[in-house]
Amino acid sequence: MIFYVTSILVILIGIYAVLVKKNLIKIVIGLSIVDSGVNLLLISIGYVKHGTAPIFSRPDLTAAQMVDPVPQALVLTAIVIGLGVTAVALALVIRLYDHHKTMDINKIRKLKW
Amino acid sequence: MRKALAILLLVIVGYYFIAIFLNVPFGNKPKGVGEYYLDKTPTQTGAANAVTAIVVSYRGFDTLGEVTVLFLAATGLGAILFDKKGKKRRLQNASIIVKETSRVIYPLIVLLGAYVFIHGHLTPGGGFQGGAIIATGVLLMFMSYRSFETNHGALSWIESLAGITFVSLGLSGLIWGTSFLQNILVGGAQQNLGQLNHLVSAGIIPLIYIAVGFKVGAELTALLDNMLKTIK
Amino acid sequence: MNLTPVQFVAIPLFAAFLIPIVAKISKEAVKYIPGIVFLYLAYVAFTLFPKALEKPIVEIIAGFKPPFGIVLYFGPTAAFLVSMVMVVGFVIWLYSFKFIIREPSEKYYMLFMMLITGATGIMLTGDVFNLFVFFEITAIAAYSLTAFLRDKDGAEAAFKYLLIGSFSSTFFLLAIALIYSNTHTLNMADLAVKMQNVDVTTKLFILILFISGLGIESELFPLNGWAPDAYSQAPTPVAAVFAGIVVKASLYALLRLVFLMFNWSEVFYLLLVLGVITMLVGEMSAMRQHQIKRMLAFSSIGQMGLIVIAFSIATVPSLQAGFFQMVNHVLIKSLLFFSAGYLVFHSGSKDISALDGLGKEKPITSFFFAFGALAILGLPPFSGFWGKMFILMAAGNSHLLLVVVLILISGIIEAVYYLRVISRLYFYKETTKEVRRTPVSGLVAMGILTVLIIILGLYPNTILAYLKPAANDLLHRTEYINAVLGQIHL
Repeated sequence: MIFYVTSILVILIGIYAVLVKKNLIKIVIGLSIVDSGVNLLLISIGYVKHGTAPIFSRPDLTAAQMVDPVPQALVLTAIVIGLGVTAVALALVIRLYDHHKTMDINKIRKLKW
Repeated sequence: MRKALAILLLVIVGYYFIAIFLNVPFGNKPKGVGEYYLDKTPTQTGAANAVTAIVVSYRGFDTLGEVTVLFLAATGLGAILFDKKGKKRRLQNASIIVKETSRVIYPLIVLLGAYVFIHGHLTPGGGFQGGAIIATGVLLMFMSYRSFETNHGALSWIESLAGITFVSLGLSGLIWGTSFLQNILVGGAQQNLGQLNHLVSAGIIPLIYIAVGFKVGAELTALLDNMLKTIK
Repeated sequence: MNLTPVQFVAIPLFAAFLIPIVAKISKEAVKYIPGIVFLYLAYVAFTLFPKALEKPIVEIIAGFKPPFGIVLYFGPTAAFLVSMVMVVGFVIWLYSFKFIIREPSEKYYMLFMMLITGATGIMLTGDVFNLFVFFEITAIAAYSLTAFLRDKDGAEAAFKYLLIGSFSSTFFLLAIALIYSNTHTLNMADLAVKMQNVDVTTKLFILILFISGLGIESELFPLNGWAPDAYSQAPTPVAAVFAGIVVKASLYALLRLVFLMFNWSEVFYLLLVLGVITMLVGEMSAMRQHQIKRMLAFSSIGQMGLIVIAFSIATVPSLQAGFFQMVNHVLIKSLLFFSAGYLVFHSGSKDISALDGLGKEKPITSFFFAFGALAILGLPPFSGFWGKMFILMAAGNSHLLLVVVLILISGIIEAVYYLRVISRLYFYKETTKEVRRTPVSGLVAMGILTVLIIILGLYPNTILAYLKPAANDLLHRTEYINAVLGQIHL
């Protein structure tokens, strides 16, 4: 249970950073914290008490001892997607810094938000 | 004021999230599709690693999308930072200790990355993880040598060819089998699964993961290179 | 190789991977690749269409039967939407043929192809997590294309879009986490069956997460702040792709999930209210805009509201009307964006006030804009009239008189701001400007759209009859479930 609560707290910390921070880089960091929180949540859904990794590496390992592999596969995909979004976000931050010579979001807002 | 409002909002949202997730059972045995995958992975795909079997075989279409996302990120980054190309990185040269050490361990890191993606169906890891390891090796070289350059032409060839290999392996399932991304080397009457826990097993799963490993390594390297070139 | 629905996803992707290699040989050749892809896929779409009308095509990926593998569901609705995407995609390609002057042009085409991959993937997939993946492909391609011109406002609009979009994907992923933990399956048909055993609070929470996740991309009311900036800063053909393809795809995904898992009447009531508010806010904001592309963006939000209203009435005629209006909006809004793109290019300013007297200097482009504006207003000979008429009739039959009145009012608001632009084009004193030529490919693209709009206006009932299977397919979930899962129980 504590796993769920902690990962939700991580998500909330990330959202807080996105909402409150003024620095563009910190906002991007906030987005990745949110991603990590969601990934932790997904992983903890697949957890099994005293379970082991879902790899049949020894003959004595049976399926009954293993954790749910599906959330792990989903998280693998979600991590890569998060990486893609972060990369594009950082590229945009570089662009914005080029044009405005500042990282402060309040000084950049020209379009209505 | 802004902070107080944000905290208030988050407390409310958090309360509902926690309340909903407290109803979710925790730590139980896998049910539904998870159980099915665990039971059938060795006999249906021949891969020892169930996560790999899911990522490449059962949910292979997701992985195709995943590869696309990375390719897309590299392409988008290249487009957004296009006019920065050709500039030199302005990093300090590292000290001699760092330089010599990284020269020694760089090939080892690349080797480890290759090991991880080649053995993706047997051990933890796979194409994405192996590619990421290779990219960290390249990052180490970027950091320690100012003059270290990657071959852009080769990188984009690797990216494209690895992507085409993946889609072609998928389409081969459509040509010689019944469905897209079908494991054409496995199945049929003789069940060429290979021996469990041996390198040559699981049909096209290792082939796909090798293509993915090359692709991810090349893409992440290109991403790092593009980003580092913008440092002024 | 048999013609199968997976090609709608695989072929554009293949093209995107191929483009960098072709670009090394000849940059000129890259330009033709998307056109060839669209022509081929349009051929595939129209070949598969009659088969999908008879019986939905369920394609199993990787040879594992559902719910264990991923399936593609190519029913009448998907067939109709995919054919629309291919036709419109071809026209947009034709238009952007001479439009893209900015380098790196091969990257533009790669992003464009992947945007199409994502959108068709959203329309075809039968798996929620796969839906998420395609959703993200579409989104990342859209962020990059918004910032493609690399100017100040473009980067800002893209960053704003990215922030909102990241929240939408977080909500979506949380919804998937909840769904998987409660039902232990990800296949949409299987979910529709198993969701019945999930308790109502959790279901409601999942619904809210889905609406906030997908509503952002489908421009529903409180979540559409990204749209006007992204539309006005992105290159013109991309704005047409957003309005025509991306938004429609995510609306379809939302509707598919709602009709499959949450078909309670309260949900449709909620969607109806959201649709009405979206429509009114969109149209009223459009009236206040000074830039022509922002005006079109808000008008597009208003139209999405109208379409959502049609779908949330949830009867066969209203769904038919909704699909009809979808086609309508895709064709007309693309035409408006195309002509506005060249008008902005000729006048050298994004402001509406800079358009004075352009009607005499650029008669053909202005004619296309005026034609599109009159069509979207719903004047009788045009297709827009039928679209609105069908929706009004459907609303009237369901005794939603207030909705009828509000649609009529929003129609009047729409008329005010479109006629304002037309009058500036034709009846204001001309100012001497440097006149540049509109390329032939652009004119051909607009001409094709005009012809399609006229056909749609002349034979509305024939087209409506074709839309009936699509409406049934979306409305009746048992067919969907049987088509996907039937193979298991047999």
